[in-house]
Amino acid sequence: MQNSSAQNLVSTQSGNLASGRASISNQSAVTAQRLSKTPAVSSGPLDSKSKLSNVHRMRRLIAEDPEWSLAIVPLLTELCIQHIVTNFEKNPILTELLPEHQQKVLSRLSPDLPLTVTANLIEDESYWRRCSTKRWAVCHVAKHGGSWKRMFFERHLENVLRLFIPGTTDPSVILDLIPLCRNYIRRIQMHQFLPPVRLPVPPRAGEQSDSGSEGELEEPAMDHYQLGSLVAGLLHLEELDLVYGVKDCGMNFEWNLFLFTYRDCHALAATIKACHTLKIFRLTRSKVDDEKARILIRSLLDHPALEELDLAHNLIGDRGARAAAKLLSHSRLRVLNLANNQVRAPGAQSLAHALAHNTNLISLNLRLNCIEDEGGQAVAHALHSNKCLTTLHLGGNELSEPTATLLAQVLSVNTTLTSINLSCNHIGLDGGKQLLEGISDNKTLLEFDLRLSDIAQESEYLIGQALHANREAARQRASNPGHFISPMTASGAENSMG
Amino acid sequence: MNPQTPIPIEALVEQNAEEAAPNQGPSILSDNPQERIQARRLRIAARLEARRREALGEYLDGKKESEEDQSKSYKQKEESRLKLAKLLLCGTELVTNIQVATDIREIHRRVEEEELKRQRIEKLENEVKTSQDKFDEITAKWEEGKRKQIPQELWEMLNHQQQHCARLIEDKNKLISELQQELKVKDDQYVKDLKKQSDDIALLLERMEEQVKNVMKTFRQELSHIEKAFEVERQELLTSNKKKWERALQTHNAKELEYLINRMKKVEDYEKQLNKQRVWDCEEYNSIKIKLEQDVQILEQQLQQMKATYQLNQEKLEYNFQVLKKRDEESTVIKSQQKRKINRLHDILNNLRSKYAKQIKMFHEENQNLTSDYQRLVIQFKDLQKAMRHFALIDEEKFREVWLMNEEEVKAIVAKAFNVDMVISTQHLGLPWTAPDYWFLKNVGPLSQQQQKSATQIVEEVLMQTEEEGNEEAVPGMETYMDLPKQISPQTTRKILTLLCDESGFLIESKLLSLLLPLERSECYLLRLDAIFSALGIESEDDLYKLVNFFLKYRAHQLSPSQGSLGDQTKMDRSSFLSALERPSLMSALERSSLMTIERSSLMTTERTSLMLALERSSLARSSLTSAWSKKKFLPKLKLELPELESSDQEPSGQESSGQESSGQESSGQGPSAWEASAPAEGEDQDKERQTSISSELIHPNDVLKILEAFVMGLNKPRDLATTPRKRKGARDDSKDSQYWEALTTVIPPVKQNLWDALYEALEKYHLLLTERTRLLRENNNLEKQNADLQAMLQQYLNSKINSELHIPPTQVFQMPTK
Repeated sequence: MQNSSAQNLVSTQSGNLASGRASISNQSAVTAQRLSKTPAVSSGPLDSKSKLSNVHRMRRLIAEDPEWSLAIVPLLTELCIQHIVTNFEKNPILTELLPEHQQKVLSRLSPDLPLTVTANLIEDESYWRRCSTKRWAVCHVAKHGGSWKRMFFERHLENVLRLFIPGTTDPSVILDLIPLCRNYIRRIQMHQFLPPVRLPVPPRAGEQSDSGSEGELEEPAMDHYQLGSLVAGLLHLEELDLVYGVKDCGMNFEWNLFLFTYRDCHALAATIKACHTLKIFRLTRSKVDDEKARILIRSLLDHPALEELDLAHNLIGDRGARAAAKLLSHSRLRVLNLANNQVRAPGAQSLAHALAHNTNLISLNLRLNCIEDEGGQAVAHALHSNKCLTTLHLGGNELSEPTATLLAQVLSVNTTLTSINLSCNHIGLDGGKQLLEGISDNKTLLEFDLRLSDIAQESEYLIGQALHANREAARQRASNPGHFISPMTASGAENSMG
Repeated sequence: MNPQTPIPIEALVEQNAEEAAPNQGPSILSDNPQERIQARRLRIAARLEARRREALGEYLDGKKESEEDQSKSYKQKEESRLKLAKLLLCGTELVTNIQVATDIREIHRRVEEEELKRQRIEKLENEVKTSQDKFDEITAKWEEGKRKQIPQELWEMLNHQQQHCARLIEDKNKLISELQQELKVKDDQYVKDLKKQSDDIALLLERMEEQVKNVMKTFRQELSHIEKAFEVERQELLTSNKKKWERALQTHNAKELEYLINRMKKVEDYEKQLNKQRVWDCEEYNSIKIKLEQDVQILEQQLQQMKATYQLNQEKLEYNFQVLKKRDEESTVIKSQQKRKINRLHDILNNLRSKYAKQIKMFHEENQNLTSDYQRLVIQFKDLQKAMRHFALIDEEKFREVWLMNEEEVKAIVAKAFNVDMVISTQHLGLPWTAPDYWFLKNVGPLSQQQQKSATQIVEEVLMQTEEEGNEEAVPGMETYMDLPKQISPQTTRKILTLLCDESGFLIESKLLSLLLPLERSECYLLRLDAIFSALGIESEDDLYKLVNFFLKYRAHQLSPSQGSLGDQTKMDRSSFLSALERPSLMSALERSSLMTIERSSLMTTERTSLMLALERSSLARSSLTSAWSKKKFLPKLKLELPELESSDQEPSGQESSGQESSGQESSGQGPSAWEASAPAEGEDQDKERQTSISSELIHPNDVLKILEAFVMGLNKPRDLATTPRKRKGARDDSKDSQYWEALTTVIPPVKQNLWDALYEALEKYHLLLTERTRLLRENNNLEKQNADLQAMLQQYLNSKINSELHIPPTQVFQMPTK
């Protein structure tokens, strides 16, 4: 009843305020009451007079009241807006209002309103900002494309997923959320997947010998939440950043907290294959071994949008690397991260082979693998023919002088590489000298990390000088519009400084 | 800074995820002193590097300073930028150093772990081998034990076996405990690692914070430096500008002063000049003043004079004015008189008008009467004409008779004279005499010229003749005096002409054609032919005959070589025609044509309607024009006039009468000429009839144009316009008559008359002499009578003979006496 009257008010008050006041008896009664009250309260001796006097008199008396001012009397619009705000949950009225009133309503809405009401109705950033800041102390809106609403929903979904326990939590919690957030979520960043909890927790410490076999037996039951239905529901999903594991376990560490089962793997593979908008896929610290990597990568072959694949901190060996190499030639992958895996020389060779003819890949990270000189030489050979790669990370790969020699040759020829990392290798003094020779002919390289790689300080210093000269040249090229330079190098230079 | 933030977490998780392993990476906070040393070394190396880079930057800065002389602010900016870049680079390096250190630690750990793993596996394998051996031994002993029958031995053996098993189990337990020990160590390691990682993270955070602080500080510093540099630069700029300004101001002031002095000098100069000028001007002024005053005096004198004359003039003018006033009065009087007169005249005018109206009415009636009279007169005139023709014939006859009579008389006289002459010349002069052969001597009857008729006239005649053949039996003379058909009958001519008329309609102006439409056929033909002839230039009768002959010849040519090719034929024809018609070309003879039309119209006056009269008028008007083609211009006018003429009968009546007169004259004149002309034609009627009967139909209408073309080509007759003013047809040419008669009088030429006179004188003398002689002779005779009576009789006889022959020369006379 009240709602409808309010609605009426809203519809009319946008036109003429006076007419609205005249037509709605309810509202006028309220104002009259208020009007009559104020003098009654403020001026006691005039009470009898005011009662006698007609409306005009009353007004005059009001005017004489020193405390009275027009601001005390709220406008009908204000009242209506207040009403709308208080009843927003039951009767959300927003789009029918004038823009200024919308703004007022939004600024007064409570952030605690249920998402079912607000999700698809309110686009206003300030509201979502209030919601976000109320929920989280630190809000990095820049990481979410500068949109508070997107951030709110992404983090909300993260929260829900992070605390989702398969088997105990109702899946409808997430499924209900899909229609609300399907248009806003572009990224799912999940650094925790809780395993299903078994109520009778067996004492692990006691039965050490059985734990492995028991884990094997119970593995089917250890499946995590299946993202398939959720991802299928999200229209604009672009980034999937997953870690199958438990955070902050501390001293409660258990191996089966970090299980990425085959069923999980198959489900994830199907999910990412079905998601055609996916651009970035990260699956780190999830004990992905060769088999699982192959399953995942097979599903990613010829993916229409995928640009970045990050499988760092896993257990991928040579076979997985070979699969990744195959993926390189069957997709438009721009960034490949296989840091901290168990790729050895054969895997690196297959990757190098793929790299030789690739024209998409910009960044390759093989940090903390063990490709050794054999793999390093293969990669260096591949760089002779590659004209696309700009960033190469070969830190901690047990590389030594032969690789450095080859890389020095590549450096004098290649004009696309801007950043190379060879830290934590055993390059040696001679290797350092050769690299110095190589870089003296290069004008594009901006970063060359050779820390802790047994190079003479002199050559490291000279390399640093050469890099500095290159950076200056790049900066001038960027500042001088007359020269044509690729934006990539410019941005790379910027990054290196910031 | 952002990219660095995930690193510690990552590292942490990484280490969490992995098996608890001993952390051997260098750290300042590590328990291991070597590790601490290593960490410090790293730090020192980093700092050294930073310093070196700083030096490098400075070096670059110096280079820049030396190379380009740029503003301080720019330098400062550049410097700050480099410094900050360095700082950032060093900072990030410092921060990432931790990661690198962890990495290398991890690598070392991994190497060690691998080694340990290998050792462990080896150990396990060894253990398995040995335990297997032992187990095999034990199982072998079991076999052995089965064979043992002695319980003691068996017990011993069992004990032994038990001991073995226990040892085996012990071994295994030992291994297990070892492994568990290892595991425990690992657990400890894990805890340590966790601690280490947290330390690392703390370090990282510290460093990052430090870095942030540093960076902020340095940024602020650099900002302030840059600001200062800008400030300094600005100050410098300000001071330099101020100096410049002051200098400029000073120079400006100096210049200004200089200008002022110059100006003062100039002012003085000008003042001097002005003074001079003033003096000069004063003098000049005075002189001019004197001169002008003189002038003024003169002018005043003149003014006085002028005034006097003015007064004189005024008086004169006043007098004139008075006179004029009087005149004006007079003129007013006259005016009123005139007005009255005008009124009177108006009245008169009105009266006259009414009178005039009456008169008009009267005249109208009179006109009607007159027209009726005129019609009557026309009839009378016709009759009269007939009578005239008749009389003309009679007159002609009479004239001829008189002429013949006179001629006979004259001729008798002439013959007499000739006889006398002959006698004189032969007898008296002894000259041979020949009768003079003059043309007029042979002439019998009145002199007649072949009258040149106009073509149209002929045509008209022809047409008229053929037309009126049937109904005009009353004029039988018509046919006879038509002299045109020399070889051609009028019918043939008519046919040819109608053909011509039909075919060459293009020669007639379209306006004329439209005008002709309402006319009757013959008139139409006539007018058309007129137009065509004028266009073709056919004027005279001869031309017309030529044309007709031409047609006939053409046809004859066409007929005779009918088998020959037409082209040849026409060619030949043309050539023959050209030769035949080598006559001067026809030019437009305006007067003639106009005359022709006049005549033609006059001939037909009686029957003609008012249209004809109008035409006549037009033709009359045309006659005054010089060009034949100006006819065109008149035609529209003519058309316009036509209705007028037809409607009002008054004017035509006058015209008619005049036309009648002229026609009367002409017809009267024409009569004899036509009659004369017809005379020689009569004899030839016969063959012409024969020829024309063949012709006419055989001329194809299509050939008409060809013929015409050929004809016009041939007809090249030059027509002298002014030479022969057309003779009036009717007027008999009397000049020749008088000539004729005079010629008759002068049959004996004056020479001969002189001769005669001389002769007469001589004879007179001779006669005198003779008379003298006779007298003398008579005396002689008397004397002789007296002398000789005897001889008297004879002498007398002789003398009588001599009397009859007076002509005998005196010699004879003188001989006689000798005789």
